[in-house]
Amino acid sequence: MASVATDVAARPEQALVLRFTAAERVAHWVHFFAFTVLLGTGMFLYVPWFQPFALGASGEAARLAHRAAAVVFMAAPLIYLIWSPREFFYSLKESFSWGADDWGWLKNAWNYYAHGRTGTMPPQGKYNAGQKFNALTQIVTFWLFVITGLVMWFGRGSVPPDLFLLSVVVHDLSVIATVLLFMLHIYLVAVHPLMRESITAMFEGTVSEEFAAEHHGKWLTERVFRKRKDVKRQT
Amino acid sequence: MSQITLLVDASKCTACRGCQIACKQWWDLSATKTTQTGTYENPRDLESNTWSRITFHEYESGGKFQWLFLQSSCLHCTNAACVDVCPTGALKQNATGFVSFERDLCNGCAYCAEACPFGIPRMETINALTGEAKASKCNMCQDRVTNGMTPACVKTCPPGALQFGERTAMITKAKERVETLKARGYPEARVYGENELGGLRRMYVLTAPASAYGLPDSPQYPVLASAWQNVIQPFGYVATALAVVGLALNWVATRRSRLNHVESLAAPAPEAPAEKEEV
Ligand code: HEM
Ligand code: SF4
Repeated sequence: MASVATDVAARPEQALVLRFTAAERVAHWVHFFAFTVLLGTGMFLYVPWFQPFALGASGEAARLAHRAAAVVFMAAPLIYLIWSPREFFYSLKESFSWGADDWGWLKNAWNYYAHGRTGTMPPQGKYNAGQKFNALTQIVTFWLFVITGLVMWFGRGSVPPDLFLLSVVVHDLSVIATVLLFMLHIYLVAVHPLMRESITAMFEGTVSEEFAAEHHGKWLTERVFRKRKDVKRQT
Repeated sequence: MSQITLLVDASKCTACRGCQIACKQWWDLSATKTTQTGTYENPRDLESNTWSRITFHEYESGGKFQWLFLQSSCLHCTNAACVDVCPTGALKQNATGFVSFERDLCNGCAYCAEACPFGIPRMETINALTGEAKASKCNMCQDRVTNGMTPACVKTCPPGALQFGERTAMITKAKERVETLKARGYPEARVYGENELGGLRRMYVLTAPASAYGLPDSPQYPVLASAWQNVIQPFGYVATALAVVGLALNWVATRRSRLNHVESLAAPAPEAPAEKEEV
């Protein structure tokens, strides 16, 4: 992270805007932590290469860790909801609002992310169409994970066998969907040259106004600046 | 290695339950406290410490009444769903065809118990909250048969209702016995397990339809288990591999276009208020 931090420090004259509240950042990293542990421990049962880790006591430990991480995984959105309900519902509403600019994002995405043609990209809200898609998938798969996971956890032997097997199938499909998005997510924040600054937002909460203008123009003008004007009017 | 089969001739079974006890004795399985519920059948279900038991059934057909007794236990399917879903290899198909079990390898996931078309494996639940458990089922006396002996139940059966040997010989015996039974007034006599699920290594001679013994008439490999093993899991690998290729292509494209952070900021920022404030 040091390199990103010094990046920002090297341009001290830049105005910073708050992109993610403390609640959002904590919930994000708790979710990230739980997800990676769930993925790591679940993989022992899924991937035959990892069979040595699935055996006997090691497999029992992995399954126990999977359950512990599942509790944390289920708690992460609650942290967000209770700590920062306003941002929670704002983000939720945003993720479900799709308009012309979102289809514009989809049309321009490859040109933008591969060739850096920024000109034709319509301005985006707090979340661009890709991030909204990620959020929606996370919401859907969250419930699928919780329901199927709890069926496998507590329904063993008491639910009809086909329901148990269906749960494993749906659990696995959710794993595949989230892993694909997770790979894309990691690539964009950690590897892609245009997006370097976005990860600062998740560590420090802020991004430069320039980054916000380029990547989330609509949000900057319609929410951040308007809020500032509200603040001014009050004082 | 030659293929083995345990032939259960239900028509010879007297329900003495010697096999039930021999199994417990050989495997050192604890006894279960049973209760009288109006039938000699006890315990009423397979348990993690009861791998085999005799079930009792009444059957009437063509004005003739029959007491039916059946040794109920793992059928040792050739196409064994339990083996396919087991993530540890605790359940394995032996080269001779039976399904062996290695308790130390089991991590308690219970996939086998849910996938078995006959509902055979039982979970010994150690802790329901943490999910700690061990599967258990008949392993065809894997230690005995791999050393040239017959399973303990076969060894003990007084009327010789249980036989153990090479599969084709057992099939021939079973068919001959069915003919004999038909001639002796059991028109519904049949072999169960010659072709079911690729061939059951515990094969039955029955004198009534399978369902009269509590067996499924046509057992099926569970569709969801094969979808999971043969479609979903491979799909996961392919999708992940494609994603890696896609991301690599994008990365190459960004190199080609010489994208970098500073250039990307060339776009003019929208009008912003002069002073800097915390939001
Ligand atoms: C509320 C959340 C979750 C719960 C309650 C849960 C619970 C479970 C349970 C009970 C199992 C069956 C194995 C066992 O008994 O230990 C399982 C398997 C698995 N879980 Fe989860 N899980 C959750 C979330 C996740 C997440 C987020 C991932 C990965 C991103 C994941 C990946 C897996 C995988 C790969 C398997 C193995 C499936 C297979 O064998 O094909 N789980 N989970
Ligand atoms: S009867 Fe059930 S436990 Fe036995 S081999 Fe067949 S699938 Fe496996």
